[in-house]
Amino acid sequence: MAFLSVERVSKYFPILAGATARGREAVFCVFKDVELRLAKGEFVTLVGHSGCGKSTLLNIIAGFEQASTGGVILDGKEVTDPSLDRMVVFQSFALMPWLSAFDNVRLAVRAAHPRWDKARVREETHRYLDMMGLQGAESKKPALLSGGMRQRVGLARAFAVQPKVLLLDEPFAQIDALTRGVIQEELVRMWTATQHTVFMVTHDVDEAILLSDRIALMTNGPEARLTECVEVNLPRPRSRETMIDTVEYIRLRNYILHFLMRGSRAPTAHDPQPAARQGPWAQATPLSATPSASVLDQAENTVNTSRTV
Amino acid sequence: MDAPPPIRLPQAQQRSWIISLSLLGVGVLLWHLATVRPAFDPQGLTADQLQKMEFNGDIVRTDDGRYISNPEKVQGIPGPWAVVKKAVAEFAEPFHKKGANDHGIGHLIRYTVTRFAVGFLSASVVAVLIGVVIGLSRTLYRALNPFIQVLKPISPLAWMPLLLYTVQHPTWTAILVVFMASLWPTVANTAFGVSTIRKDYLQVASLLQLSWFQRLVRVVLPAAAPTIVAGLRISFGSALVAVVPAEMLLGELGVGYLTWIEWNNLHIAGILFAILVVGIVGVIMDAGFNRLARLVTYTE
Amino acid sequence: MAQDHVASAAAPRTPEERLDQCVESAVMQAIFGGNEFRRRRFLQLVGASTAATLIRSVFPLDTAKAIAQEKVKEIEKKDLTVAFIPITCATPIIMAEPLGFYSKHGLNATVRRASGWAMIRDWAINREVDATHMLSPMPLSISLGIGSPATPYFMPAVENVNGQAITLHIKHKGVQSAKDMKGFRFCVPFDYSMHNYLLRYYLAEGGLHPDKDVQIRVVPPPEMVANLKAGNVDGYLAPDPFNQRAVYENAGFIFMLSKEIWDGHPCCAFAISQEFAKTYPNTFLALFKAIVDATHFASKAENRKDIAQAIASKNYLNQPVTVLEQVLTGRYADGLGNIKEVADRINFDPFPWHSMAVWILTQMKRWKHIESELDYKQVAEQIYLAAECGKLSRELGYPAPEQTYTKHTIMGRVFDPDKAGEYARSFAISNL
Repeated sequence: MAFLSVERVSKYFPILAGATARGREAVFCVFKDVELRLAKGEFVTLVGHSGCGKSTLLNIIAGFEQASTGGVILDGKEVTDPSLDRMVVFQSFALMPWLSAFDNVRLAVRAAHPRWDKARVREETHRYLDMMGLQGAESKKPALLSGGMRQRVGLARAFAVQPKVLLLDEPFAQIDALTRGVIQEELVRMWTATQHTVFMVTHDVDEAILLSDRIALMTNGPEARLTECVEVNLPRPRSRETMIDTVEYIRLRNYILHFLMRGSRAPTAHDPQPAARQGPWAQATPLSATPSASVLDQAENTVNTSRTV
Repeated sequence: MDAPPPIRLPQAQQRSWIISLSLLGVGVLLWHLATVRPAFDPQGLTADQLQKMEFNGDIVRTDDGRYISNPEKVQGIPGPWAVVKKAVAEFAEPFHKKGANDHGIGHLIRYTVTRFAVGFLSASVVAVLIGVVIGLSRTLYRALNPFIQVLKPISPLAWMPLLLYTVQHPTWTAILVVFMASLWPTVANTAFGVSTIRKDYLQVASLLQLSWFQRLVRVVLPAAAPTIVAGLRISFGSALVAVVPAEMLLGELGVGYLTWIEWNNLHIAGILFAILVVGIVGVIMDAGFNRLARLVTYTE
Repeated sequence: MAQDHVASAAAPRTPEERLDQCVESAVMQAIFGGNEFRRRRFLQLVGASTAATLIRSVFPLDTAKAIAQEKVKEIEKKDLTVAFIPITCATPIIMAEPLGFYSKHGLNATVRRASGWAMIRDWAINREVDATHMLSPMPLSISLGIGSPATPYFMPAVENVNGQAITLHIKHKGVQSAKDMKGFRFCVPFDYSMHNYLLRYYLAEGGLHPDKDVQIRVVPPPEMVANLKAGNVDGYLAPDPFNQRAVYENAGFIFMLSKEIWDGHPCCAFAISQEFAKTYPNTFLALFKAIVDATHFASKAENRKDIAQAIASKNYLNQPVTVLEQVLTGRYADGLGNIKEVADRINFDPFPWHSMAVWILTQMKRWKHIESELDYKQVAEQIYLAAECGKLSRELGYPAPEQTYTKHTIMGRVFDPDKAGEYARSFAISNL
């Protein structure tokens, strides 16, 4: 059974009065019938254009927003409100600016372990800060830290809580490209050590391929749908340097980019038909609508896709 | 180890001090020149005329029988020297109590500051509580806002007769006038600060499952603190402005009372002295606010 | 209060001796107005025993001591506050503190300064003070509930008679009579005051309607001089020292003394709530005696200069001594370049004639301050304690009339208290 499962979740927003007056529907659908299953310890990334509702989906999983239809089940129980078992790492870091890096993480540790004494809390806080390479920056307030350092604190905070699921909302979007690479590798390192289940949302394809086990693809809004999940068959540990020359990487990357460039619309009657519907874990026939790069021709059979519509 | 180099004020700061002091010096000099009077010359005046002038207080007899211009009686504004003499006289015995109606300036300042502090601090606590409540709840904000908008512009002194009538105690009425004056700017600022907290701070608070109390104390108040302190500063100014007339109208001893008594007796030097005292007390208390503001400010 | 004393050089050993010393030093302090330097110089000059004799001639020191010893055992509430407004009308109330009249009768009373009559009214009603200085119509208005919640009050004694004046702005030097005052802006200390009623009487006699032909505003007495100087008002009928002060400030001149309108009119009074008098009868009696005593002391011309010194300080009237001397001694500059001598410019007589109360009530009726019908004599007798005042005066050794009603002459017209109702309706100019 899936550890975290998103069961046919849709999100509708009521529109302002002007639209209804013009005779259109009073609701606006962000996405419809999204289904996603994560196994324990899996790293899944959701990729899509801006505005397709991926952050909204993450918010629903986190409990900040409610699904209009369907629900989210974690470890056998339905979840609707925020809690420590689904900890979020925010795009804007969301560190309390009046607290030092140490105090920010300590706040989380104390919240997660209310019965621990001061010394133990302090020890644990130090541990996670050290794991993220923040020695020396502990007593600084966020305003004095660079973007990269701030997100390290955000990550330390999230890991320190030891959640069941880690939700990352475009975590490196506001960090410069050079630092991004370094932190991504640190994240992989941490995740490998701790084996948390991770759900990440991003628009950076390279990042998705580097970090995830599977990549879910979302079409454009309105009425976006999660059309397919692509497995990333690159062996771990992955490093950017070695990865970017492999055939699998190029194939995957181009496939996803085409998906995005196509307007990421849902497949229509004119598209090649998918294979007969099977369970989400089943393999399906390779997708026929692929661009004609010579490299791809060679690697035709090595791409696995599974449809989840 | 070498001693650290002596600290000197940077050039810009030195320059500011020089300009301030020069302005003060020039101002006082001009004031003195505008108000200086020639010495009194009794030549050419009959005994009868001199007696009339003495009755009128224009001249007084010194101990050795001469007539001099009465230093206590001034036409128009007194010169800076008169104010200095008044200040010296008052501060020479700042804690005297020559009867129920004549207490030294030290005591008067103490009464005014106490009255002000009690009213202001209690109002600040109440205002922050109200502000937090209405800032966090949109519904409550909309419900209470009309009342706040109506009550806000009412001058605190307009409350005085009503308060005196119900409370029937001039001391508490004065404190309540200060209370009413300090309430509204803080309420408005607190509500604003709390309602405009960045959403992600609140999201983190809910993720960490903080109780409402912990959320208030660890997230809401620190986040809104700079705005709250700004509101307190405005309230403080408003309260200081209110305490002086409140004392005048209620007959409570204090610096405001002193101003009024000096005015009643047309001792302009005394009025100037009292005003200066109020100003200086205000400056000192404002400096306190600066420190408080620095404690709670943060950069995003 | 310094413990230097006049008669005995040794330190006091018993409470009685301490009390004696208290009385002595109170008197000494009063005479020198708290001026330590002058007092010591005086003692150096004349020697302690001469000083004692001199003072005894002025002040019944031995009697004072004896009475003080007697009263101190019976009083329920020794620590009292008495409110006053800093005007010369309250001289007996005020001087009783520095000159030791309160302590002579066994009381530890402090006098507390209010800045206006509304404040006095509020303090009285809220029981902030135990007794107050009031305008003679005020105990009537407060007891009847006019302009305030009805609170039953007694007026045991009048403070001063005469002691007011009409002062005009210096620019109105040419004004001869009431007719020239059309359109003037006047001020008075309070609606229910002798000042208001006398001003109205004077203007009405001169053919002007006080509510239609002039403006009469209420301004607290201490602010009147400032207002005159600023040109906000054309004149006022005010208590002293604010008439003399206007002359002193070269802002105005004294047009007419109030004694020229009604010689011997009551002005201010000593008032106490009926509740206090009934709850603390012995205290009330002691206070009553102290006031009557002080009032009689003040009525003697030879004491006036010393009293002026005693009450000029910042704690009391906060006025230049020369202003107070001119008021109390009656030798004054009138603002038009003359020096005048009028002995009863202000006088002090505690007897609260019932007929005075009746006159005030008729004027209150005339100007519609009272709307309903009332029994003039009954109200007067309930509030003004004329009989009791007479009895106490005689006990203390001062003369006092036996009757409580008499006829009064105001601007040449006789007022008969038995025909009060007719009198109230008999005026050409009124609000009836």
